[in-house]
Amino acid sequence: MMLSDDDIALAGEYVLGAMDRAERSAIEARMRSDSAFAAEIARWELRLDPMLAEIPPEAPPALAWEALEDRLFAPPKRPAWAWFGFAGGLSTLLLGAVLWFGAPMQRQQGPLWISDLVSSDGQVRLAALYDEQRGEMRVSVGGDAPQQGRDFELWLIAGEAAPVSLGVMPRSGAAAMPIPDDLRALMAGATLAITDEPAGGSPQGRATGPVVALAPLRRI
Amino acid sequence: MPNLPSEELSHLLARIALRDRAAFRALHDACAPKLFGICLRLLRDRREAEDALQEIFVKIWHGADRFATTVGNPSAWLNAVARNHAIDRLRQRKARYDGLDSARELADPAPGPEAQAITSDDGRRIDDCLGRLVPERAEAIRLAYVEGETYLDLSQRYDVPLNTMRTWLRRGLLQLRDCLAPVA
Repeated sequence: MMLSDDDIALAGEYVLGAMDRAERSAIEARMRSDSAFAAEIARWELRLDPMLAEIPPEAPPALAWEALEDRLFAPPKRPAWAWFGFAGGLSTLLLGAVLWFGAPMQRQQGPLWISDLVSSDGQVRLAALYDEQRGEMRVSVGGDAPQQGRDFELWLIAGEAAPVSLGVMPRSGAAAMPIPDDLRALMAGATLAITDEPAGGSPQGRATGPVVALAPLRRI
Repeated sequence: MPNLPSEELSHLLARIALRDRAAFRALHDACAPKLFGICLRLLRDRREAEDALQEIFVKIWHGADRFATTVGNPSAWLNAVARNHAIDRLRQRKARYDGLDSARELADPAPGPEAQAITSDDGRRIDDCLGRLVPERAEAIRLAYVEGETYLDLSQRYDVPLNTMRTWLRRGLLQLRDCLAPVA
């Protein structure tokens, strides 16, 4: 849908930032429901960004990183290797899970979540459909297959936890995978990611290869 | 961000979306100075800028997947997260002080864009386009965007009614867009 010049100017005004709080909030509400308008705001952010070149960098406060780290990561106080161990165990479990092909999706009443993962060059595509009631996810893989000796691995990213492997994707076609009970609660609003890993999936149980695509699970 | 190429920043943001803390640290080290500079410029209060900087990185940690799912300019995205947060703080402060004398002095107009040494092509292009606007309008756009001034600040500074100021800015923006057309 084409935006009017009025809307384009309004989007620019929002990015300029001279309006008051109430008007900013109203525009933010519109952004959530009007994707063309939200995209125009993103364009204005890009257009005006070079004006920030005049602002010199300033050394951030000492210990800024430590304070941030404390705030975001302190509560579990778990050393990094423990995460790897945890994710590693889970990943083996999942990789052992049976992937079956072509099972018909039964009628269900539970909520459905979808995620459309597309690489930035558009060459790799994966669609995922998660059936909350059955705890099952079906994926369909299209586009370029990974190179010989490599596999695409699917990851679940929820909250602050390290990504959890959902398994290695078929090189093409569809697959259905049961989601283990302990992960089901995490699916709502989580993000899925595909990384390029050695054949058979990351040996470490954590994502090691480049991120190919990433997308949130959206409720439909 | 001056010290990392765009590709590298995009890669770091994708890793951050995967909850890679080492990538987050690398991004913080590379980008905190610029983002802190933006906070200081807009908020003009070191303590508040420090708080803001932390909030901004919390937003980046939680929101990196939103960048990673689009194709864009990573440093512009990071700058926008920072600017947005700082502007929200300014407007909140403004609401708090409404009716009182604002705690925030109107800044002296900083040197105009033509006086700034901007090396990038984009920088030159926007300078060139700003240079084609009526000078007061170009300056008002800069004061709003870079210094965080409101319509009220600007209408007082230029002694014009609020609506007139708003019209200046809207027309100026549309002229800018036409001049920068290749971006859109």
